[in-house]
Amino acid sequence: MALFEAHQLHLRFGDRVVLEDVSLAFEAGRLSGIMGPNGAGKTTCFNVLTGRYRPDRGRVMFDGADITGRSPQAIARLGIARSFQLMNLFDEFTVFENVAIALPQTRRRGADPIGQAYGDATVVEEAHELLDTVGLGARADHIAKALPYGERRALEIAVALASRPKLLFLDEPTAGLGSDGRARLAELVRRLKGQVTLVVIEHDMEFLFSLADTISVIHWGQVIARGSPDELRTNPWVKNSNLGKLA
Amino acid sequence: MSIVGLLPHLVNGLALGLLFALLALGFMLILGLMEQINLAHGSLFALGAYFAHAIATPRLPLPPDMLQVWAQVPLGWRFTAAMFLAPVLVAPFGVILERLMRRTYGRDPLYGLLLTFGAAMVIEELIRIAWGTRDYMLPVPRGISGGFLMLDLIWSTYRFWAAGFAVIAMAVVWLVIERTRFGALVKAGAHDSEIVQALGHNLEKLRVWVFVLGTVMAAVAGVILAPIWGIRPHMGVDAVIPAFVIIVLGGVGSFWGAVLGGLLVGMVVGLSGAYASEWSMLSMYLLLILIVTFRSRGLFGKKSVLEA
Amino acid sequence: MRTGRTVPTLTPAMIAIWLAFATVPLWIEKVGLYQYLGVEILIFATYALAYNLVLGHSGLPSFGHGAFFGLGAYGFGLAQLNLVPDLWFCLAAAVVVASVGGALVAAFISHRRGIYYSLLTIAFGQVFWFIAIKSHAITGGEDGLLKIARLPARFGVATFDLTHNISLFYFVLAIFVVVSLLLWRLVHSPFGRILKAIKQNETRARFVGYDVWRFKAAVLVLSAGLSGLAGGLFAMAQSSAFPDVMSLHYSGYIVMMTLVGGGLVTFWGPVLGAIVFLLARDVIGAVTTGWMLWFGLLFVALVIHKPEGLGGMFIRPARPAPADAKK
Repeated sequence: MALFEAHQLHLRFGDRVVLEDVSLAFEAGRLSGIMGPNGAGKTTCFNVLTGRYRPDRGRVMFDGADITGRSPQAIARLGIARSFQLMNLFDEFTVFENVAIALPQTRRRGADPIGQAYGDATVVEEAHELLDTVGLGARADHIAKALPYGERRALEIAVALASRPKLLFLDEPTAGLGSDGRARLAELVRRLKGQVTLVVIEHDMEFLFSLADTISVIHWGQVIARGSPDELRTNPWVKNSNLGKLA
Repeated sequence: MSIVGLLPHLVNGLALGLLFALLALGFMLILGLMEQINLAHGSLFALGAYFAHAIATPRLPLPPDMLQVWAQVPLGWRFTAAMFLAPVLVAPFGVILERLMRRTYGRDPLYGLLLTFGAAMVIEELIRIAWGTRDYMLPVPRGISGGFLMLDLIWSTYRFWAAGFAVIAMAVVWLVIERTRFGALVKAGAHDSEIVQALGHNLEKLRVWVFVLGTVMAAVAGVILAPIWGIRPHMGVDAVIPAFVIIVLGGVGSFWGAVLGGLLVGMVVGLSGAYASEWSMLSMYLLLILIVTFRSRGLFGKKSVLEA
Repeated sequence: MRTGRTVPTLTPAMIAIWLAFATVPLWIEKVGLYQYLGVEILIFATYALAYNLVLGHSGLPSFGHGAFFGLGAYGFGLAQLNLVPDLWFCLAAAVVVASVGGALVAAFISHRRGIYYSLLTIAFGQVFWFIAIKSHAITGGEDGLLKIARLPARFGVATFDLTHNISLFYFVLAIFVVVSLLLWRLVHSPFGRILKAIKQNETRARFVGYDVWRFKAAVLVLSAGLSGLAGGLFAMAQSSAFPDVMSLHYSGYIVMMTLVGGGLVTFWGPVLGAIVFLLARDVIGAVTTGWMLWFGLLFVALVIHKPEGLGGMFIRPARPAPADAKK
């Protein structure tokens, strides 16, 4: 059994079917990719998998437990974290605090109304470690809002990592990045690979094909192909769609 | 209580509901089309009532002999004049308010709410300075005042007239929004300000006109309701609360939601008045809390700025 | 830099503010004001700090906080008149009654934010206000609850009489010190920082695993309880409790005080706001009858030009920009 499985997800908004019979499986320790053209339902799919939307039908299983329709916070606490396509940070906090607030130590002390928020030495230590991991060690005391684009992306990933996830979803991590930023991000993702199970949505084929172990292609709300990058390169579905040209 | 016993409460509730709907509609226009909460709506409503009183009684700041002449005019004419003139006199206040609110466009709508709360305090205070704290009554022409007997019950004539006026005023607003170029533009602008600008229209001007329309609606409601509710400085706050209850209940941005919300609130207030008149106004809030608990956007609401 | 990040429990500004207040009874009459005004300012400063817990620190724009202040006032009065006329008991009653009211409201609105939060708190505020007016038998209706005594404060062996405004002032100051200290700690605690995180980005807070609803409900209950404490003190100071503190006007005044003082940007802003508001009432009120006209205009001008309030004008942002911010 895979670490994370989705079985026959259906979702409609009004009379528009957004997901139709989508089944996905992500193996522990691997990097799985989801790709597809814009508007194919990738992000919606992500939102269902991470608890933002509840599917009309179908089941989502994580680590053997049914997590369908659970709240985002409940899913997060089970060990699933995500980044957002539109960057979603605590803008007025410093880089340090963005990460520190997401650490399990801080979360466990959430009901403490008197103590020092980050007085715990392990919080400071771990937050800095994470920031070093994503290359933001020197930016710890900057206000998140003031960071340049690429660094905000990196911070977004650090925040997601802070909750010590077993599974990390990255929603279009390269969106809006230049080739330089893209390279740096690929580097970071490569380093994370193996440490944490990763699921990446992307429409940058090059990025995904160079990193992913398996890829699922979503189009018109359905999974139209899946396999390793090499298998997909020869897949007639992928070849015939616009995606094929890029590959 | 039998059905017959309830009938007058039902009818009164219906009439009240139409008046509530009228009161809420101007508030809704500004909220739905401009995404601004105008807490000063009630103050503009109060100004309408005070100006109407000044015109009809008459207490205008005119030379004594002119005032003498105006006082000789039959009350029916003075009342009619008040109904049309008072809203015109209130309109400039709306223009000033819009001017002040401009700085809050695009920011958290909370600032608009705060600004208009401040403006409401200022207008209420201006009213106290100009008219004092005492209550006034707007006299109603003899033809539409008094009561009549029906089914062995005494009915207030003016309530029916007021409900009729409210229907006419609402119909006019509906026509303006749904059947004129102005209305189409305004609705387009509410959704996409770029479209309006692309069509070569001046969004700023359009916003002023929407605000003026909302203001005039408030003042018209003030004139129509003054003979029923009386005129006093805090009538503005008393009026703006039902207006917002109706809007939240009916759903932000929906014309028919406002009308239905008004009727619903009127009926509930009217009917609960049959059992516990002291507490009837409370039923309105309980209704709101009940409905919004189960339908978070109200009856006809769409996703709106309120959920920012 | 990699040491613990702690915020001092006592700061020089805090101690300076407490000491400054402590001198007030010595000079307030010499500048033509009166002792009771000091009491009132301290009570409203406490109330405004409690209110700012939701507005400034959690981003929840409650517009019905007067209800909790009023519940505290009635709770204090009713506990004294019907149960046990003991100061500590009555103050506890004020806190409990207001907290229960807060919990009731929180149960309905904690999944809301923004303007909807404001509108629903207005509705609930009106419900409480309306009940206070109409329940003549319990609250005395619009005539209010009269003959509330200024009970003596018993500390084991020593007992302090609080019937004098000066002794009451120091008693209220002691409570203000405790409340402001508690709130200062709370704002810098894990709980407080999580509230601030929720204020900035509710979705993100959820996805890092926080049960946002619970935090929002808890902070409203806490803020309501402390507002109730201020309300209880106010009932004692006034020797009576009236429904008008629960009206939309008064609920709006506390928002005004908090914003005018700069509660959105500084911890002590609400205190400054309470001082400015009540001084304006007395000073402008002495010159003209329509003081709210001028204060309202000031408020409108502030919302337009300086939403961060007076506090924002001379207090720097809490965290200085790092030296290497722009390389």
